[in-house]
Amino acid sequence: MSGNDLRPLVRVRGLTKSFGSNQVLKGVDLDVMKGQVVSVIGASGSGKTTLLRCVNLLERYDGGSIEVDGVEVGYSDANGRRRPRGERELARIRADIGMVFQLFNLFPHLSARDNVVLGLRKVRGMDRAAARELAEQWLVRVGLADKVDSLPIELSGGQQQRVGIARAVAMNPKVLLLDEITSALDPELVGEVLTVVRELAKDGMTMILVTHEMSFARDVSSRVVFMDAGRVAVEGPPSEVFGIDTQTHERLRNFLARIEMKRA
Amino acid sequence: MQYHLNFNLVWKYFDRLSWGLVLSLELAAVGIAIGIVIGLGLAVLSHGAGRIVRTLVAAYVEFIRNVPLLLLVYLVFYGIPSVGGFAYDATTSFVMTLAVYAGAYLVEVFRAGLDAIPKGLIDAGRAIGLTPAQLVLHVRIPTMIRIVLPSLGNAFISLFKDTSLATVLAVPELTYGANWIYTNTFRIVEVYAVVAPMYLVTGYVLLFALRQLERRFAIRRR
Amino acid sequence: MIDVMLKGLPFLWQGLLVTLQASAIVVVVALIAGIVFGVGLSYGPRWVAWPIRLLSDFVRGLPLLVLIFSIFYMLPLTGWQISNFASAIAALAVFETAHVSEVARGAIQSIHPGQNEAGKSIGLTFAQRMIYVIFPQALRRFLPPWINTVVDTVKGSSLLALVGIVDLMLSIQQVIGRTFKPMPMYVLGAVMYFVINYTLSQVSRRLEARFAYVRE
Repeated sequence: MSGNDLRPLVRVRGLTKSFGSNQVLKGVDLDVMKGQVVSVIGASGSGKTTLLRCVNLLERYDGGSIEVDGVEVGYSDANGRRRPRGERELARIRADIGMVFQLFNLFPHLSARDNVVLGLRKVRGMDRAAARELAEQWLVRVGLADKVDSLPIELSGGQQQRVGIARAVAMNPKVLLLDEITSALDPELVGEVLTVVRELAKDGMTMILVTHEMSFARDVSSRVVFMDAGRVAVEGPPSEVFGIDTQTHERLRNFLARIEMKRA
Repeated sequence: MQYHLNFNLVWKYFDRLSWGLVLSLELAAVGIAIGIVIGLGLAVLSHGAGRIVRTLVAAYVEFIRNVPLLLLVYLVFYGIPSVGGFAYDATTSFVMTLAVYAGAYLVEVFRAGLDAIPKGLIDAGRAIGLTPAQLVLHVRIPTMIRIVLPSLGNAFISLFKDTSLATVLAVPELTYGANWIYTNTFRIVEVYAVVAPMYLVTGYVLLFALRQLERRFAIRRR
Repeated sequence: MIDVMLKGLPFLWQGLLVTLQASAIVVVVALIAGIVFGVGLSYGPRWVAWPIRLLSDFVRGLPLLVLIFSIFYMLPLTGWQISNFASAIAALAVFETAHVSEVARGAIQSIHPGQNEAGKSIGLTFAQRMIYVIFPQALRRFLPPWINTVVDTVKGSSLLALVGIVDLMLSIQQVIGRTFKPMPMYVLGAVMYFVINYTLSQVSRRLEARFAYVRE
């Protein structure tokens, strides 16, 4: 067991981020080990989505640090000076971090296969045949073997999201970020997507999930993080965080109760 | 190349510019007023009329929109009198041309406006017993005016810029004033350094006024 | 009427070629520069986007004729030796670039920002995102209004006659100067302009209808 296995794959320290005068992240610390699935829950405005989007630099963070596999994503250390990374560097870093979006964001002018192929060819430099084959393999794995040539507009929400997952995972990322990936889906389509995520977790994919699906979070996560007002308020294994009777943190209790009420 | 800025020559003849600006606005105002009559009339006429009428109106619109305004200006001022036998002065000719030009664009604006009238209003009018003519007068037209207000305002601002073409007929509007000063003083930089902002500022003032008007009167389409 | 038209036709035809040549150059220049500026407006940092915005608003807020006169008469003062034709079409190109950049900006900004984010998330560089994700989608929203700017360019080129460029408009004036029969020439000239521009606007309309179907 090499030393690297002891270092967190994703290491967040003292992360701060403001949008104008509104400070959304007020000092977040988080460790995600390789192979772990961490769910981030919290009310809207708690900063959970912002935190996720900072990891792959869709948002630049102000203070603190985020390291993925030992490399700080947002800033580089040139001659001892901390400098924001340029677009080219960011592109290379982002290639190793996968993201699946709430609104899918599939490329509407490309087929399911071509959505997956684009990154493989242009970023990973694969040749056409190899890229197509890998793309098809992944589409089969997410259960869309017969839809490889379909355009996004011809697919249901659940199918589109599974293509989104295939697109992200085919790039062989070190960590996968999932931003409320079932929130925009009709209830009956949620299951097929969660099944795919469960499979990925079982295969050892490191994942950070922002989600409202509490039962799923409890099911698949190694750890659950509850964010409140820009900070990590509670952290621990699912049984501990979700134990509504044993949970001592008041805001978390209220949050869980509200979620339960909505589902009732 | 040596060029010494000397604005005095421009200020000396500034009234050509200030009165020119006023004339430009007047030309645009009269032009759009008549243009509205033409456009509205043709829009109402072709709304639910036979194919022949609609084709004729469409031909008029397509012709005006695809031929340069400059050519139309010359055609009206030099061409028509030569076959018609009568003559008119430059200003009248230019305003007529502007009106016909604006009318072609406004037909489309008004037609879209008429189509955008919520059907519920028409039904309500019919329900209280208004005749078709009364419906047009008391329901369709007032509603449509509020809907098309933004487009009308933008057309006016556009037309104001088009008045610069009146120069070619020696109508003393703003651009003609600028050229007069240039021809007589050769102060090209100074003249256009003054005239360009005059057009720009007037345009912005008109835009601002339009936004204020819209806020009070226009119906926001959901 | 017709025989006057026929006698003038060769001269108008020469003028038409000049009109087409001038318009073509302006369209190409404005297309390239307009797209570059449109991208700059949409994605550029503030020090790029603001100057473009300012210049674009300045140019579009002026009458085309004023722009042509000022650029045409001011360029010689810089000592730069360029032909009349070049300075005249430079003015028209500045005007059209401002309009094309607006069309490009509108087309690009109509695309959901999630598309750019998805492109970022798989590691595409800015240029790759533009070429493979944004432009293919923006094309649909760009083409119909862009063709309208091409029509405006052809119409705008008629103003070049006022600075002595012997285009279609000026040839009409020249023939009338010799024959003293204005109407036949104006009608013939109008027909020529009409044929070109009407064809272009029909293409634009067809494209718009075709693209309207593919709504996502």
